[in-house]
Formats: sequence, C-alpha cells, structure tokens
Amino acid sequence: MTALSEYNPIVIAIYFLSVAGLAMFIMNPVLLFVSFFGSLLVFYTLNRGKKDRSKGMFLLLFLLLGLLNPIFHHNGTTVLFVVNDNPITTEALAYGFTSATMVVSVIYWFRGFSTLMTSDKLLYVFGKISPKFSLMLSMALRYIPLFANKFRQIKAARKALGLYRQDNIPDTLKSNLKAFVALGGWSLENGIVTADSMEARGYGSGRRSFFSRYSFKKKDLIAVTVTLLPVLAVIGIKLSGSLDFVFYPEMSGKLLNKGALWAYACYTGLMMLPLISDAAEREKWKSLRSKI
Amino acid sequence: MVVIKNSTIRNMIKILVPFVLIPAAVAVGVFVFDDKSYAFVSLVVALLSVVLFIAGFEMRRTGTGRMALVAVLVALTVTGRFIPYIKPVVALIVITGMYLGGEAGFLVGAMAAVISNFYFGQGPWTPFQMLSWGMIGLLAGFLSKLLKKGPVPAAIYGIFSGVFFSMVMDVWTVLWYNKTFDVGMYIAAMGTAAPYTVLYAVSNVLWLLLLKKPLGSKLERITLKYRLF
Repeated sequence: MTALSEYNPIVIAIYFLSVAGLAMFIMNPVLLFVSFFGSLLVFYTLNRGKKDRSKGMFLLLFLLLGLLNPIFHHNGTTVLFVVNDNPITTEALAYGFTSATMVVSVIYWFRGFSTLMTSDKLLYVFGKISPKFSLMLSMALRYIPLFANKFRQIKAARKALGLYRQDNIPDTLKSNLKAFVALGGWSLENGIVTADSMEARGYGSGRRSFFSRYSFKKKDLIAVTVTLLPVLAVIGIKLSGSLDFVFYPEMSGKLLNKGALWAYACYTGLMMLPLISDAAEREKWKSLRSKI
Repeated sequence: MVVIKNSTIRNMIKILVPFVLIPAAVAVGVFVFDDKSYAFVSLVVALLSVVLFIAGFEMRRTGTGRMALVAVLVALTVTGRFIPYIKPVVALIVITGMYLGGEAGFLVGAMAAVISNFYFGQGPWTPFQMLSWGMIGLLAGFLSKLLKKGPVPAAIYGIFSGVFFSMVMDVWTVLWYNKTFDVGMYIAAMGTAAPYTVLYAVSNVLWLLLLKKPLGSKLERITLKYRLF
C-alpha cells in the first residue's frame, strides 16, 4: 500500500496515461531519458521489496529494439561501418536506442499503472463510462476463480470414477478436454441461474445505483490539477516546436533551448509527483508512530 | 446519441465503423498532420471503434441472461489463456460469435483482452488486441452459417484469424516503434512473429475442431431452452 493508491482511480488513470502518452508521442531524447528513469523509479517505489523477475527480458528487448533500427534503416550521413554493402549509421543507431528507450519506459509506466489499478478500481472507472460493460467485466472477474475451482472438482470427480487418465500426452489432453467441456456446460447453466437471481432481485427494473468506496475528494481535484498543468505545458511547448529533434539525414535540433528546458523541468516535476506523495506519506506515518 | 431502429443498417454501421474509420483516420494523419502521427491516430481509432461498439451495446436493452452468458464465456476465454502455448482463446471467441451472434463475439474478444492483460501485461497494445479479437468474433458471427457447415470452413477461419491477429498487431508494433509505416520493417516484424503466427493458427484450428461440436451444441441447447439470443 502506498499513498498513491489512496487517490481516486480516475486520478491514477489520468496520471499514468498522460505520462505514458507524452513519452509515446514526443520523440525527444532528453525527455525520453527522463521518462525512462522516472518510470523505473516509480515502478520500483510502488513495488518496494518485491522481486522484478522480468527485468532481464526488458533489458534484452531494449538492446534488440535499439540494434534493430540500424539494420533496417540506412539513411543518415555518419557511416560507422558497412555490412554487406549496407551502411550502419550513427543516426539510425541513435534513433533505434531513442525508440527503445521510449518502448521500455512506456512498458514500465504501464506496469506501474497495473500495480495500482486493481480490478475493483478498473470497474469503478469503467462503471462511470459504461455500466453494462462494467457489470459484465465484474461478473467475468468473479467467474474466473469460481471456474478454476470447479475445474479442479470436475477433474477430481472424473478421477474417482476412473475416467481421468494422465498416462500419456493424448490421454492427458483428452481427459482435460472432456473436463473442460463439462465445465463449459456447468458454467453456462450457472450463468443462467445467476441471471435469474439477478432478475428476481430487480435487475433491469430501474436505474442501477453503484456502491463505490471511491469518492472524488478535494485532494483528488488538487492532484488532477497538479498533474494536468505540467502536462498541458509540455504539450504547448511541443506544439511550439521547441522539442523537435530530427534524426535523419543528420541529427539536428537544439536539445537545450529555453522552451525545451522548461518542458524537461515540467516533465521531471511530473515524474516526481508520485515519489513526493509517497515520501510525504511515509514521513507522516513515521511521525505519527513515534508519538505513540 | 441517435438510435438507429433498422437492424440491418445498424449492423452495417457496426461493420463499417472500424473498417472505414481506421483507413480514414490514417489518411487524415498523413495529409493533415505531419507524417509522424500515424501511431497516435491509429491508437485513437482503435480505442474509438471499441468505444463506439460498446456504446451501441449500452444503448440497447439486453436481456440479463445474454449478459450473463457473455460474462461466462469471457471467464472461460481468460482461463483458457493460461494454457501454455496452444491457447483456446480465439477458438472460444469464434465459437461465441458463431452460436451467440457477432455482437457477443466482439464483446467476448474485447473483454477477454482487457481482463487477461491484467495477468499478461497491459500496454498501449491493449486497444489493438481488443479490436482484433473483437473483429474476429464479429466476423465469425456474420459467417456463422458457413462456419457451422463443416470442419473445413472452420479450419480455414482458424488459420485466417491467426494470421489476421498477427498482421494487425504487427502494424501497431511497427507504427509504435518507427512512428511511420515502413514496409521493410513490417515484413521483418512479420518474419520474427512467424513462429507465433503459425502457433496461433495451429492452436486456433485445433481448438476450433475440438470444441466446436461439444461446446456449440451446449450453447445451442441453452439458447433454445431459455430463449436467449
């Protein structure tokens, strides 16, 4: 539990989608560098004390994506070396690694997002947009563990009857398929029972009201404002052209002009928001505890 | 929002919206914006078409039983994605489309993508996955008469949907990474994805042929018994 998960889910969604969105659509090396470290920092702050098993895979993806570009793109004026008459250029290499930074940082933003956005929060957000869709999502989410459990029961029952065999691969497949089809039949009937029960309790007879433990408080409004101001600033600076950086045929574009520096400052501030809120909450917790 | 009463026109619009909007928005991206906004435009369009479809579903009255059945099939599909390598996901979506109609097929595809990506990783690819699985389900609904005829059309559709899924996802991969569409890179992406494409196609065909009869008859029976769909 971090301080961030206490905010309204809509605030969390706005924050992560805008941070990832800016990284996705602004190809500026400095900005992406900031985004890369920001995403890692936020992800590891949210998952403090947990092991990240897939980091090796993402490192590999980063290298692969970075090296892929110069193999396919040969424009660019600074030739590093030539392979099979195909020049490998500095520009293509730089573009490749900038793109790879973007892809990996967006993936990490989404991983951080998934850590915070538990399914009940997602249902809250979807429920605001589409109540029926959200209802079906919540039903499906409840069915998954139910079906997994029922599948085990069916297999156990079939085993007891001597109908479930795992001697070789075809037997295993056949037995599992039979059990799965049985699960299908049972779950469809179960769905109808659920629907009857819902109708008996008055579903569809009027407007539905939702229980939700999330309300939009004053602190959520402040958080949205604090998030959106730098986002809008960065978008404005991007539209003014200060963040433009051209890779081909020659890398050009001033990375450190006045507008760009403002954009980097805003974006860095945006990265710091969850970290500041987390640190503040920890400090508060410590100071409260010491009084006890 | 306007509700269209005529069901044929409504169905036509449902098909046309994603098919026409995507190329249209990409064209807008080329001619109106600079040539760097393909990725943005395609993402917006993918999201838009899924949202439009769901909005259409939201507008109409749907029986509780139908909604419950769709939720059941979503749950089965998500559970199926945990089977390693040979996954019955697309086969279940196709069977839903065949026996419960295109709309149910689309919903199961789109929802299975959202939910299962909680376990397999959310990302900007989620809307594309929702759209391509949804389209596979929708199309299966329109082709249901043909697909029910025998194992051969079903097998062909299984292969087609495996290739279709790969192709759509690779368009996004190239656009995301490269900003503009690049044929060489697209072919390369298809090449590296080829083993997966083959795996998708094989598992689709295998599961479709295995599940079509037993699960299809169960779905038929339940819709007949409770007068659903």
